[in-house]
Amino acid sequence: MLSEWTKLRTLPSTVWLLVGIVVSTVAVGALAAASLNVSHCPTPATCFEDTTKMSLIGVRLAQLGVVVFAVLAVSNEYGTRMIQTTLLASPRRLGVFAARLIVITSLVLVAGAAGVLGAVAAATEILPRNGFAPISLADGLTLRAAAGSVLYLALIGLFSAGLAAVVRDTAGSITFVAAVLFVAPMLLMFVSDPVWQQRLRRFSPMDAGLAIQTTRDLTTLPISAWAGLGVLACYATAAVLAGALLFRFRDA
Amino acid sequence: MRNLLRAEWTKLWSVRRWALALGSAAVLSVLLGLLAASGSGTDANRHGLYTAGPEGTPVEDAFQFVHQPMTGNGSVIARVTGQAGSHEWARAGVMIKEKAAFGARYASLAITPEHGLRLQANFTRDLAVGDGTAPTWLKLTRMGTEFVGSVSSDGANWRELGRIEVAGLPQSVEAGIFVNSPPKIRIERQAGSTSVGGVPTKGTATFDSVRLEAGHAGGEWLSDTVMRPSAEKLDPPIGSSSSSGGVFTVIGSGDIGPNEPDDDMVQIGLFGILAGVMAIIAVAVLFVTAEFKRGMMIRTTFVASPRRGRVLIAKSIVIAAVAFAAGVVAAVASFLVTQPILRDHGFAPPAFPVMSLWDVGVIRAIAATGLFVALVAVFSLGVGALLRHSAAAITSVIALLIGPAIVASMLPVEAARWLMRLTPAGGFATQRVKPPNDGLVEAWSMIPGWAGLVVVSVYAATALGAGLWSLRRRDV
Repeated sequence: MLSEWTKLRTLPSTVWLLVGIVVSTVAVGALAAASLNVSHCPTPATCFEDTTKMSLIGVRLAQLGVVVFAVLAVSNEYGTRMIQTTLLASPRRLGVFAARLIVITSLVLVAGAAGVLGAVAAATEILPRNGFAPISLADGLTLRAAAGSVLYLALIGLFSAGLAAVVRDTAGSITFVAAVLFVAPMLLMFVSDPVWQQRLRRFSPMDAGLAIQTTRDLTTLPISAWAGLGVLACYATAAVLAGALLFRFRDA
Repeated sequence: MRNLLRAEWTKLWSVRRWALALGSAAVLSVLLGLLAASGSGTDANRHGLYTAGPEGTPVEDAFQFVHQPMTGNGSVIARVTGQAGSHEWARAGVMIKEKAAFGARYASLAITPEHGLRLQANFTRDLAVGDGTAPTWLKLTRMGTEFVGSVSSDGANWRELGRIEVAGLPQSVEAGIFVNSPPKIRIERQAGSTSVGGVPTKGTATFDSVRLEAGHAGGEWLSDTVMRPSAEKLDPPIGSSSSSGGVFTVIGSGDIGPNEPDDDMVQIGLFGILAGVMAIIAVAVLFVTAEFKRGMMIRTTFVASPRRGRVLIAKSIVIAAVAFAAGVVAAVASFLVTQPILRDHGFAPPAFPVMSLWDVGVIRAIAATGLFVALVAVFSLGVGALLRHSAAAITSVIALLIGPAIVASMLPVEAARWLMRLTPAGGFATQRVKPPNDGLVEAWSMIPGWAGLVVVSVYAATALGAGLWSLRRRDV
């Protein structure tokens, strides 16, 4: 595991990507919070805005950084053929794979936590200026949304790492994962059949996973918060299993 | 340059993976379009809200009409002495209409509080013909199928403003003065959902010196409130008119013009292009970054062609042409496959007129989509040349193209619209045939197609410029 950590630590793109994850979460969340204003509400007392969800909207962009980070960590070695050196040094392939996943996930959790905390702090500053009540982690639902967002990023990291081990090509993996994540929300904007909408909201990785960010109108959620993360966990598990099996049994 | 182009083209099609990706891009686009179409439906035709007008598109026709019959060629003349500013598009003027009924053919010349003089015919044609407000003299003359609108300041000397064609009117028509005032629409976006509300407005105008100059004219002035038959049961008619001593005070409410549902069948059909675009981003980035990988083929390339800038230009021409072709093929295929499905799901006349591949709007949308895909390819190429790293380049392009599209669907109207104007995500507006609309979920419907192309062009040009600078200045 130490060798995996060293490899990732010494990769210059690691720092950039982790910083990027933090910055994009905070920046986009702050911009979204700044765009909200009580004047858009029917009456200031009855606003429908889910301020927590809007403040954490940066996660949708930051997840791209997580995807790239996880994919690079896994597939980079194939491009330079360093994978052969790695497997020569540690022939127990599943061990290598597991160690890599642990390092990736830990780093994503740290960066994600930093980003989410930063976004919450920014929103607490900005929202009162536009007339909303500040959000605070003391509130149970907000805490759940924040913690859930960090978990979401970690699961996205696992999902990407697994798929990268399957596809092994950096550009292809990134494009494929991005497509799987982003096509469903765009599709939802056009699909008006309620049955299809329900299906997409429940089973698409991004929409189901981010259900945990909702703190208002919880009864109207198509899938409950933790079940949504569970759906994403299923995707991640399947990807990791497929990746692990192929890593173990395929030629390097 | 021709050799350079041939060299770059060879490089592109000889990598099997890339050719495969481009081919599958078109197929994936059609499949995704099928998915979108199968999941779409509308019940717009079930509530009697949409009635087709003389030119096929659904229309709204509600106003107050004070009229007399007129036979053959002739003119209707009136002086509008005052108009209330109930709505920027409220109209007060003269009209010649087939009959005082909803959806009948007509031509009209009117003043508006904020848009000057307008010559309008058959709901879909609306020309700005001059500035002016009340008081002013207006004259509309019928000459067969041609209608001439004229204005005057004293009632004797007339200045022609414009002409408009209306075919199919019988010899005997109704001519007179009219007033309308469209409802005020308020759109609020909140928590990812949109609410659209309309409040009727009441338009008031005063006329005098109203007369017809025609073969057969004269008789009683009739006053009718023209409105949608199904609406008569819901809303009591607001229109009325009164006259004393030759001065008419007319009160009218409603809109005269196209009344199409917000959804755009062509846009839904072309949605699948998103999948193709993602594949093309990957190929365009790899087209340049693959040369920087170990082995450094870029050195061979630059030895063969020392003018580095030309190499990148050649690459961009090749990838743009390929992307345009792929985009157009995918768009045409998506359109042909999805339209029948959408028609089965409720997107049918009268609310949604049948769109064919040869309609001007459809051709424009397909060409614009092809151009959008080509520009995204050039943008990706430029970013790839600048960053020299495939992962970074692909991610940056996707972040700028798709990130804003998703985030904007949750923001209020103004913020969402600005995001579309300033990021390449606005390029998806090219898929729309109908005019921009603030009331839809997808934010890129708020800007016109050309605005989307402009912003993507700016990003493409900037990225290409930066890439050129980087290639020339830095070592390889």
